[in-house]
Amino acid sequence: MSSTRRDFLIKSAQAAALAVTGGLVWAYLLKQQANAAAYAIRPPGARMADDFNARCIKCGQCVRACPFDTLRLAHSAETIPIGTPYFVPRDIPCYMCEDIPCMNACPTGALDPGLEDIADARMGQAVIDIENCLSWQGLRCEICHRECPLTDKAITVEHHPRRISRHAMFVPLVHSDACTGCGICEKACPTEVAAIRVVQPELVRGRIGEHYRLGWKNAAGITEDFDAGRAKAGSPAAPTGLDYLNEGEP
Amino acid sequence: MELTRRNFLKSSVAASAAAAVGVPVSKSSIAQAAEAEKDWQWDKSVCRFCGTGCGIMVATKDGRIMATKGDPDAPVNRGLNCIKGYFNGKIMYGKDRLTQPLMRMKDGRFHKEGKFHPVTWEQAFDEMAVRFKKTYGELGPHGVAIFGSGQYTIPEGYVSAKLMKAGFRSNNIDPNARHCMASAVVAFIQTFGIDEPAGTYDDIEHTDTVVTWGANMAECHPILWARVSDRRLSSDNTRIVNLTTYGNQSSDIADAEIVFKPGTDLAIMNYLAREAIARDAVNHEFVDKHCVFATGPYDIGYGMRPTDEYAFEAEKDIQAKELEVTLDKYEAIAQRKEPGTRVKQNNTAAPVKHWQISFDDFKKGLDPYTLDFVAELSKGDPDETLESHKKKLEQLADLYLEKDRKVVTFWTMGFNQHYRGSWVNEQAYMLHLLLGKQSMPGNGAFSLTGQPSACGTAREVGTFAHRLPADMVVGNPKHRERAEKIWKLPPNTLNPKTGSHITKIMRDLEDGSVKWAWVQVNNPFQATANANHWITAARKQDNFLVVSEAYPTVSAKVADLILPTAMIFEKWGLYGNAERRTQGWREQVPPPGEAMGDVWQGLEFAKRFRLKEVWGEQPLPGLKAEGFEDGSLPDVLAAAAKMGYSPEDTLYDVLFATPENRKVAWPDAAVAKGHGNHIAERLGDGWFPEKALFNEYRVFGLDYHHDLADFDTYMRDDVRGLKWPVIDGKETEWRFNEEYDPYVPKGAGFAFYGKALKATPTGDLDGVTSAEKKPLPDKAKIFFRPYAAPPEQPDDNYDLWLATGRVLEHWHTGTMTRRVPELHRAVPTAQLYMHPEDAKARGLKRNDVAWIESRRGRIKAVVETQGRNRTPRGYTFLPFFDEGVFANKVCIDMTCPMSKETDFKKAAVKVYKV
Repeated sequence: MSSTRRDFLIKSAQAAALAVTGGLVWAYLLKQQANAAAYAIRPPGARMADDFNARCIKCGQCVRACPFDTLRLAHSAETIPIGTPYFVPRDIPCYMCEDIPCMNACPTGALDPGLEDIADARMGQAVIDIENCLSWQGLRCEICHRECPLTDKAITVEHHPRRISRHAMFVPLVHSDACTGCGICEKACPTEVAAIRVVQPELVRGRIGEHYRLGWKNAAGITEDFDAGRAKAGSPAAPTGLDYLNEGEP
Repeated sequence: MELTRRNFLKSSVAASAAAAVGVPVSKSSIAQAAEAEKDWQWDKSVCRFCGTGCGIMVATKDGRIMATKGDPDAPVNRGLNCIKGYFNGKIMYGKDRLTQPLMRMKDGRFHKEGKFHPVTWEQAFDEMAVRFKKTYGELGPHGVAIFGSGQYTIPEGYVSAKLMKAGFRSNNIDPNARHCMASAVVAFIQTFGIDEPAGTYDDIEHTDTVVTWGANMAECHPILWARVSDRRLSSDNTRIVNLTTYGNQSSDIADAEIVFKPGTDLAIMNYLAREAIARDAVNHEFVDKHCVFATGPYDIGYGMRPTDEYAFEAEKDIQAKELEVTLDKYEAIAQRKEPGTRVKQNNTAAPVKHWQISFDDFKKGLDPYTLDFVAELSKGDPDETLESHKKKLEQLADLYLEKDRKVVTFWTMGFNQHYRGSWVNEQAYMLHLLLGKQSMPGNGAFSLTGQPSACGTAREVGTFAHRLPADMVVGNPKHRERAEKIWKLPPNTLNPKTGSHITKIMRDLEDGSVKWAWVQVNNPFQATANANHWITAARKQDNFLVVSEAYPTVSAKVADLILPTAMIFEKWGLYGNAERRTQGWREQVPPPGEAMGDVWQGLEFAKRFRLKEVWGEQPLPGLKAEGFEDGSLPDVLAAAAKMGYSPEDTLYDVLFATPENRKVAWPDAAVAKGHGNHIAERLGDGWFPEKALFNEYRVFGLDYHHDLADFDTYMRDDVRGLKWPVIDGKETEWRFNEEYDPYVPKGAGFAFYGKALKATPTGDLDGVTSAEKKPLPDKAKIFFRPYAAPPEQPDDNYDLWLATGRVLEHWHTGTMTRRVPELHRAVPTAQLYMHPEDAKARGLKRNDVAWIESRRGRIKAVVETQGRNRTPRGYTFLPFFDEGVFANKVCIDMTCPMSKETDFKKAAVKVYKV
């Protein structure tokens, strides 16, 4: 993309943003767009939605700094707040520059300068549609695994018996503790519509309960010299369960 | 950033909440997360739920469970848990946890019609003892009863059993485990002379073939099923066959699913045995050396009451079959009789009697069970062709009979909860023994258990109406004598008359022969079939029902007195799982409020009885035993005095806090390692009850085929349970096999050394021909058992089968798991699984609410026509965890007449629109 055209696009997006700027209208629009913003894949270091929206002045510095033309500013027709930066991995992913030029260009800290290593960026989260992933059908593809800049960390391959023939399947798995959401996998995916996509993690990621640890990952062993003295249990003021016990038939 | 993101995510779930939304993390929040877990204290423990017996680790802080994890060092589960196990840390924190004793009161006093009000423990025990003594005086030792449990810790079961049998001289203690694996026990005792499986879970990794019969392991033993699945995936030659009455999750990885008609498993087993003989697959060397053949009477009834006096009108037609049945076509052929023959059930009083027969007789018994006959009888899916079913049965035979193919047969409630549960269990051994595929790595018939300590406590401690510890029984004078010696009781203190099994205790409450009962660690008023009868009985004017509970349950609701009870991690305990593995844990947190452990409740109650109140002469209607006067237990106070006991001594001092046990001191720093013991501390007399009582109990099994290690060993950091017999500190993998089991004499190869029933009369298929008892030392019995038809089957009115059972997400009656919000959200209610065409024919569709009506009652549930269970036309499945649905109001309380275990799988119902 020529720098002239890029400047033009930036300016037109800014113009659209300015056109609706004005007191309550702007605030209203931000509210409306807050939900839609969850779908946007933001540049590296972007803060959480509200914080990001409050800090981003839609200046376009990050877009200018991106050497790969990955980043764009949202237009009015798009479902994310007008003028804010985002990218579409299937078109151009983030190539994970070591010096993080977009973040360094940001004048307001909407892209947090605390991000020191691009591998710690969390732009989004890759997820696999296992029904349409060729490797999950048993085909020897695994392009995502091989193309991943953090291969064997963010994407690993497991070998599962195929059962219907004497072949193993090479099944790719994404690991959220390493995936930056750069989208190189989505770009590279050979299916007609990508079977691996980057989405905002909160759209897809669950969380194990706080009451549980994975035994083979959590290293804590039996506590020697347990201190039972710290355990104090008080009696609750009112007896519980009486409503159930005293009312109605069993 | 000093910590990598990976490390950070491991260090804290709280912080990973922030990480999940893409915020670059600050050093300070990392430090906070690490700080939060720094003072967590971890210890080993055991999962609260099923019989698999997974090891877990528990983290506590300030008297609260912070987290749990699967124990990576536990051989059973290697760090994994199922979704119930995942929630061990939450089961104790339901909002309606009971924390104070509650009694029905009016005007400040106990009143049967009163509402529940909080009382002190002192008031609770006072009323409990007054009511007990009134009933005991009026009806004698068998007028009181305890509903026990397969979820008791070993010390809990031991306290209750000893208090009842040695103290109150009553055998009316029976566990919910009766509903779970009593049929398995009868078959073990009759076949091998000793209870519990020969094999271990390691059979899974050694075998080539897993055949499940009436066991949906995928949901009911999830972690074991993960091992079975891994075996299937990692070995091409391995095969899995799921025999079931409806398609379920265990079929998903199976190579074949065989859907059979309820009750016809008996016929399929005989077809397989017949094929073994026909195809010359019998291992004659093994059979000749280690086995004999046997059979017993067929006319043994169905464990129903012999009278219809208490039956609802609609129940009477089925109840009448307890006295006489008319043989249908298949049953007649299977039993070599004419169809339409009326058979009086003459052996309902002695269904367990049996005698040795010849191999030729055995063969003759099997003769009718041809492929054609069995296929036609057993086909369970009306939409499957006979040819397809036949082909599957042949393939099943191929797998079992293939000479060098190793086979493990697993079963659970489909076999055990069966009107001929003991027979069908015995048939599994019949098949494996015939083939010589038993008691060796990867080869064996393996009875799985449902509850976490059905083996360790209910069976091994003997909390049954007929049992004593270490497989001894109250009816055997030598066993009583040995128990009296170990327990330091005067001769004939122990009562020789078998007490009431758990369903009979319910019937006893209904007919007034029991008037005081104590429910411990179970919820029998929801879990017992034909529940409408028992709920009414509980509220009868002169019954007094005590329920020890952690939460308000159906049983608590019908009680007169509720005792708030400590839960698993709030006390010291040991469980024994299905592979003979005994595992122990320490108290991790104190119980909430006034809640106290069951051990303490038993010991405190024992303090309220003096020997003179229980060891004098006691009426025992119906007692007839050698050495005893008819109808009464003797006064043993004089003999007790000679042993140094005073009539004023309490049962607490004589049975529990004995001089020996008081030497086992609390605190015990070496074992406790800083952990508390709310029971020892509340007793305050310086002894360590769980340890003292476990080590006392252990004596029963030493050099008696049931050797356990001592208490301290099970608590060691480097021990994750041990499989008994534990001899010279070493556990035993495959019993009865010389290579692994030190009890087998050198050179024998195999020895089925169990001591019970090791001499029998001889006869033929029709009866005894010589009453002289022929010994069969070290041998197993191969039983011929015929097909018998279920007494209640779908008819024009009640036109569908109904089975009840579990789902993975909930444990039994849901007392604990329904208080875990996540599990409740996942499976909030019990749905009626039925075939879409059956639903359509009744004007029902998925998610409609339907009435389910049987001869015994009517309930409502939501209809499900798809999903995890795929029932054939004519068949329905309804889980029992949900008290709002209350499946047991429609289930029938018939039992296997030998084991007295209820058949929860074969009720006839009609289903219609609300």
